[in-house]
Amino acid sequence: MASTFGVGWRHPHYRELLERRPALDFLEVHSENFFADGGAALSVLMQGRAHYPVSLHGVGLSLGAALGVDAWHLDKLARLVERVEPVRVSDHASFARACFTPASAGDGASSLPVHAADLLPIPFNRAALDVLCANVQAVQDRLKRPILVENLSAYLRWKPLSGDAWLSEAQFLTLLARRTGCQLLVDVNNLYVNALNDQPATVHADSAAWAACAVSACADWLNAIPPACVGELHVAGHCRVADEHGEIAIDDHGSPVCAEVWRLHALASRRFEGVPTLVEWDTDVPDLDILLAEVQTAKINTRRPDALLQSVTRP
Amino acid sequence: MSPLATQQNALVAALFSWPADAAVKNLADFADLSTPGAAHLLRGQRGLRAYQANGHALAERALLAAYPVVAQLLGCESFAALARALWHAHPPVRGDLTEWGGVLAAFLAHDEQLLGEPYLADTASLEWALHQCAGAADQAPQPGSLRLLTQHDPAEIQLQLAPACRVLQSGWPIVSIVNAHLMASPALALVGQKLRLAVAETALVWRQQQQPRCREAVQGEADLVQALLAGATLGQALAGAPALDVAAWLPMAVKSGLLLGVTHQISH
Repeated sequence: MASTFGVGWRHPHYRELLERRPALDFLEVHSENFFADGGAALSVLMQGRAHYPVSLHGVGLSLGAALGVDAWHLDKLARLVERVEPVRVSDHASFARACFTPASAGDGASSLPVHAADLLPIPFNRAALDVLCANVQAVQDRLKRPILVENLSAYLRWKPLSGDAWLSEAQFLTLLARRTGCQLLVDVNNLYVNALNDQPATVHADSAAWAACAVSACADWLNAIPPACVGELHVAGHCRVADEHGEIAIDDHGSPVCAEVWRLHALASRRFEGVPTLVEWDTDVPDLDILLAEVQTAKINTRRPDALLQSVTRP
Repeated sequence: MSPLATQQNALVAALFSWPADAAVKNLADFADLSTPGAAHLLRGQRGLRAYQANGHALAERALLAAYPVVAQLLGCESFAALARALWHAHPPVRGDLTEWGGVLAAFLAHDEQLLGEPYLADTASLEWALHQCAGAADQAPQPGSLRLLTQHDPAEIQLQLAPACRVLQSGWPIVSIVNAHLMASPALALVGQKLRLAVAETALVWRQQQQPRCREAVQGEADLVQALLAGATLGQALAGAPALDVAAWLPMAVKSGLLLGVTHQISH
């Protein structure tokens, strides 16, 4: 089966892409940007939909929330899905909704559901898996279609609570896919960012060794995921921030895909043969031609000779 | 409450509480917040700061998208501080940030530091109306239906106004303030003069095709539009708006996309 390739279609490219109509297999948009009942943004999306299949990628369903999925959000998404008839619908293995009492609510006020507007990590234990599965199932039941769930770049690590049976992320996501029938959206850059942040400080002085250790950890992660569970790959750029608070790799989608992530994408493309690849670029969005060049690289990357992958699988 | 809910509430509290010290201390029971060191991972406190910083950046971006004029009036630094303060005092409740920020006008009205800028709250109200107008459901003009105006009694006619049409009354020149910053007209010098004289303006908000618009309501127009929005027939609305020059208003309303069409109500 031949792979397909698409780009994240963002505001700076709305008009140009419609005018040029480059050869792309699909466009990906963030679902929440088109939740309005009408207006200019929705009109542009429907014009794009007339020329390309559209993948709806959400960032706000909060699939891992103990509070459950917000009915308002699911209604909006269901309506958009009905309008757009997307080729895929996806969101993240994360949470954002929880209860909080703002100071403005006054003394004695009860806590209310709020939405952190971020992709916050969930613990990889059985309780979180049960919640995630129930929420994914609720969304799939409402949309009457399977969705894809993306692995996260996480900047905080939960401590196992006493009696917790802790799973690896790959085990956790595989169980999610098997229990709900959803597919996994494997974001290779997220994997690499996590792996960079997971490496002990002892390897940081040697940047080549740091990257090699991270790539090796990602390869193990990819090899632990059953190919049948995967429905899409994402690649993007990241940055490394070093300031007075410390150093960290951040998945900012604001630069070209790095060589290590391309190597991992090649490995993933081989293992999860035929799945679509999306190139994401969300901050400091470049000229459209630069984004399209990244798509060309992704296409070439899926045809890398096996020999080039040896260093990934056997560091 | 389940342990998972407790963990998630603790993290969200560490992101929205201000100051966050107590909430972060509580979160440390559930998450690894150790400072990176020789044997530690690059997460902990640094990761929590990344989430906090992202929340602030999102708050500034979302509020700027809805309130470009208030942002210009306050300047970058003050507006960023305002966005962060609103983020902590009134966190989003929906997963679509275009829905967040509707309380800004009330927040500004109660901000003691801004008591010297009393027009800001009403300016924010007008900008929020424009923001909501941008995403309202589309309605196509029905020019052919305008002939009903000459065929039926006004008591049997209803006017279909543009999406998200609204009237806002203010004791300040809010239309002039907003249009001077968004449309470069009127001139800022004139707006300054109106502000000094505390000129009151009534704003009419509507969407012309895909473009949100606002202008000062003409005499009698606010009464007419409010009555129409409340479901009155044209006859009822005109009775409540004796100051309106309807012969001049109708062609202007059609041309500007404020009036989309006419429906005939069969009287029983």
